[in-house]
Amino acid sequence: MLAKRIQPMVFQARRLYVELMFQVMGRALQAVSEVDEKVQNEARALPDGFLFEMMVMPDGSKLIVEHTGQGRFRYHGDKAPRPIDLSIQFKHIAHAFLVLSFQEKTSVAFANDRMLVDGDISYAVRMTRVLNRLESFILPKMVAERAVKEYPADLHLPEKLISAARIYLKVATNFVETVRA
Amino acid sequence: MTNKYYEFFCPVKVIAGKAALEHIPYELTGMAAKRPMIVTDKGVRAAGLLEPVIAACEESGLEITTIYDDVPPDSSTTVVRDIAGIYRQEKCDSIIAVGGGSAIDTGKAVNILVSEGGDDIAKYSGAGVLKHPLKPFFVVPTTAGTGSEVTSVAVITDEAKGVKLPFTSSFLLPNAAIIDPRMTLTLPPHITAATAMDAMTHATEAFTCMAKNPLSDAYATAAIKKISQSLLQVMDNPKDSDGRLELAQASTMAGIAFSNSMVGLVHALGHATGAVCHLPHGLCMSLYLPYALEYNLETIREPLGELLLYLEGPEVFAATPASRRAEASISAIRKLRDALYKRCQLPRTLKETGKVTEAQLDHIAEMALDDGSIMFNPKEVTLEDARSVLRRAWA
Repeated sequence: MLAKRIQPMVFQARRLYVELMFQVMGRALQAVSEVDEKVQNEARALPDGFLFEMMVMPDGSKLIVEHTGQGRFRYHGDKAPRPIDLSIQFKHIAHAFLVLSFQEKTSVAFANDRMLVDGDISYAVRMTRVLNRLESFILPKMVAERAVKEYPADLHLPEKLISAARIYLKVATNFVETVRA
Repeated sequence: MTNKYYEFFCPVKVIAGKAALEHIPYELTGMAAKRPMIVTDKGVRAAGLLEPVIAACEESGLEITTIYDDVPPDSSTTVVRDIAGIYRQEKCDSIIAVGGGSAIDTGKAVNILVSEGGDDIAKYSGAGVLKHPLKPFFVVPTTAGTGSEVTSVAVITDEAKGVKLPFTSSFLLPNAAIIDPRMTLTLPPHITAATAMDAMTHATEAFTCMAKNPLSDAYATAAIKKISQSLLQVMDNPKDSDGRLELAQASTMAGIAFSNSMVGLVHALGHATGAVCHLPHGLCMSLYLPYALEYNLETIREPLGELLLYLEGPEVFAATPASRRAEASISAIRKLRDALYKRCQLPRTLKETGKVTEAQLDHIAEMALDDGSIMFNPKEVTLEDARSVLRRAWA
């Protein structure tokens, strides 16, 4: 009985968590592209103006980032200025929650058919590498190991801490600017 | 409770064995199809492989309405549009693709156009665009390797844009795959070897990569057993129709396995090598298989060790300590490649192909890293890792 009563609250909390994580990840993608050379090199292969979306089907939370050139991303919130070039779509919010709460690795979610790719698959592979790199920076190693296929052996603590601090600072600044605007 | 989850889907009716072609008229009639079009290529026609298909239909009073026999090895949007035009002009109501990967992919793409309408196949490119079942579609494979008869994917080149368009939908799956040993009986030795190694790679990667599941495992192991037991027999006696049927079935089973569990590094490297050096897909698979398995070894030790049973049989499996079985599986694959090299000079290294230069390896590595298959490889592959596997496969 109690479980039935609290179920709507659980669903609402899950929806809010996924929405918040998308907002953090979108801003963090922008930040990591300003901080990390490897991410910039990955992103440079994307066309300028390339729009990437991660969303929950059928019309749930989403994050949209644009490759503005030179390996840099810009976070657009959940509104796309043009048609999307590449969309990674979670089939259900429960699947998005599994990935964004680091219970299931992104690669495993792909293997488990939790997500669909609409667009050029080679760009999807590239964006997955960027997301993995981002998660390796911003999550504690123990958590990141649950999120990515393989934690990068060449990412040592000093570099991780400095980069993570810069990314979080940029994310926080972006949040504040959004609120002010 | 674990997060383990999988999906498995294969609604293709498999019609396999002696006189399988003679079932085509019944199957077509069962779907109210009376005016079938055959889509094939010149090689298939020249090899006389259409005759038993046509005879089987005519004997049952079913006329083949038209035959398109000019599918190129790398099919294009123009070819698809032209074939769809003929289909409409001749008022056909079903398609029978007879051939290898290209004819089958072309048949799938033509089926999209004639079912959905229009002339621009590019409009239907991508995943999940199709929302309705298509016209009756049958596939008669003439090679034993690609497994295209049971996959929901087609790739067609857009000549104008110079890109390969992927089409993915469960509606692309044929209604039936007809596996008849007569269709592979005249395959030349090197194609028999390369396509069988393609199927072997499909099954091995299906069993060792990230999306493996209990159902795809069952198909993969059965396919590996059939190939291990029959390939060399067929190489020594190409007219062995029982052995040919075993290889054809293995190819279909491996196709079912990998289309439900995906593939990994061997395919990523193979696709890139095919694009850069224009080497046949099956040959690339055979080339890279042991090297990619060695690279993945510590991540796939357990499933790879299990494969020894299907590669070498119960005696060898029982006599090999559990801790050495994964290495023994790789050795068994190397041994098979050596035997194929002895019989038909199927290259075992990039150098042996004579068509790849060392200078191309970096380009291949970069391309492989962007291939969709790499996502399902159990180990995260970096550019340096890909280069190192290529260097090992060089000579």
